[in-house]
Amino acid sequence: MASREIVVAELPQHGEPVVGALSDLVRRLVDPFRTVSPPEPRPATGFFTDTTVCIGCKACEVACKEWNLLPADGLHWTGNSYDNTDELSATSWRHVKFIEQIGEPTSDVPLAEATAAFSLERLLHEPKDGRWLMMSDVCKHCVAAPCQQACPTGAIIHTEFESVFIQPDICNGCSSCVSACPFGVVTRSSLDGHSHKCTLCYDRQRDGLVPACAKACPTQSIQFGPVDELRERARARVRELHRRGVAEAYLYGDVSTASYSELNSFYLLVDRPAIYGLPDDPVDPRIFMKGDYARAIGSGVAAIATLLAAIWLGGI
Amino acid sequence: MRSGASALATPLRGGYAERTITHAPAWRGLVAWDLLFNGISTGVFLVAAICELAAPDIFARAAGVAYAVALVVLIVDLTSLVLDLGDPLRFHHMLRVVKLGSPMSVGTWCLTLYSLPLTVAAAIGVLPSEWASLEAVRRVAIIVGLPFALGSAVYKGVLLSTSAQPGWKDARWLGGYLTSSAITLGCAGMLLLSLLVGAERAAAALRVALGILVTVNLIPLGLLAADVRSTLVRVCSPRERAGLAAVCLVGGTLLPLFLLLAGQAPGVLVAAALCIALAGLAIRFSILRLPQASA
Repeated sequence: MASREIVVAELPQHGEPVVGALSDLVRRLVDPFRTVSPPEPRPATGFFTDTTVCIGCKACEVACKEWNLLPADGLHWTGNSYDNTDELSATSWRHVKFIEQIGEPTSDVPLAEATAAFSLERLLHEPKDGRWLMMSDVCKHCVAAPCQQACPTGAIIHTEFESVFIQPDICNGCSSCVSACPFGVVTRSSLDGHSHKCTLCYDRQRDGLVPACAKACPTQSIQFGPVDELRERARARVRELHRRGVAEAYLYGDVSTASYSELNSFYLLVDRPAIYGLPDDPVDPRIFMKGDYARAIGSGVAAIATLLAAIWLGGI
Repeated sequence: MRSGASALATPLRGGYAERTITHAPAWRGLVAWDLLFNGISTGVFLVAAICELAAPDIFARAAGVAYAVALVVLIVDLTSLVLDLGDPLRFHHMLRVVKLGSPMSVGTWCLTLYSLPLTVAAAIGVLPSEWASLEAVRRVAIIVGLPFALGSAVYKGVLLSTSAQPGWKDARWLGGYLTSSAITLGCAGMLLLSLLVGAERAAAALRVALGILVTVNLIPLGLLAADVRSTLVRVCSPRERAGLAAVCLVGGTLLPLFLLLAGQAPGVLVAAALCIALAGLAIRFSILRLPQASA
């Protein structure tokens, strides 16, 4: 950190910025309209999240909050397993989900007796009648992102890494992106009134670093890298799981569907997407746009025609 | 009381399946009023402009006042739009880009481009008679404003229907209803203004037109109701649904129709217009609460 401060201090200085109410106003009005040429495109990067090896340690959540200086959400009991974050939000850009699929009671043995009968030997060898699924959820960085398309200010852009990024100095908190996201990722903050979500650690990527969550993941459940490479790795992992007898393993979001683009952050799942809080069949809201405009304009024109007809029929 | 080893854990086979995935935007009361004011402003302008262009002798006097009223309502509407932003001081960021794929961007530009000729038409309309030479400019402003006023009325419904929100995402006829409703509200507003300026022939013609428009408006409203029926069934009790149906059919249609047929007394016509506006407001509130109620 100290060496970084020295480097900044050595940069050529262009004088102190003009201060004052008028200059502030001018800056506020003019700066958003200034543009720079976009950086050269780089290979698309993303996340492959293998939920079968997630242990629910929440290191990703903590690393994300630490790196991005996100405030704590407070400690509250959700009543849902070990999930105390509850959902992705403006201050939680990673969310570890816990899904307890434990079977119904099969005997009427009193609780005290059942607890006394437990032993390590029994726990290791008895047939398991349930499972515990965990998944670290994050922005999907959709290739054709509805939030980016809906944003009227141009605050949401695709970076040179093809990740979806909200420019915090441009967003005005209109919430179009919140409304458009089918995954419930983007959220407007009550602190600053702007929308926030995972940046895919754009700042770290520009410095050649791995995103904080992937770096912190102790089981490689969160893998980061070039998307093409990740997709190959994910398919190989699915084949391996099938070979091992996990026939239900599949990839979510690795390819586009009729109604949605592929995701640059995609998942290996072993149950229905809805169980993980993901839409079974996500739909890009824009596919209805032309028809909706046509119906709206048609209705308006029909109402105007009705008005004119009524006036003329009235003898005018 | 649970028993056995499995009593240690709560069965949760469904995981997050029962939850609403999307986040509802914080669009609440202010936006419902915005939807209403947008409909009134664009509707009054469209009806006034079309009537004036079609029969200037009869409608010009009321239309002259209508543009000023539309401008005032538009200012209130834009104020509510700005206040609804998370960071209202950044409202001008909307003008950074033009994105045809973003209904809000389309709406922002339509409202901006609609406000300019509307201001010109309203300003010239209130000038003293010595400025009559500007009549041609006023007429051009009215014609130029027409497509942008229609665009401003159209975009609201599309903005909501092309989202991922429960209820809205299925509402293929929301834009159709809001646009048709805007024209109806505009006709009601223009009828009141005709009464105000004493344009009797205009008021008589608009009374008939309003009756027909109120009835025709039931078509997109019915189609919209069919679109959002499954969400309404999920989030509203049967009593609430019955209440909403009563507001739509009785408060927004039958009662105004009865009043319009009952007579030409100004009080009766004002009551009819109020019924239409209040029912429209109630419907807009109901539409807006669908994502919040689903959460």
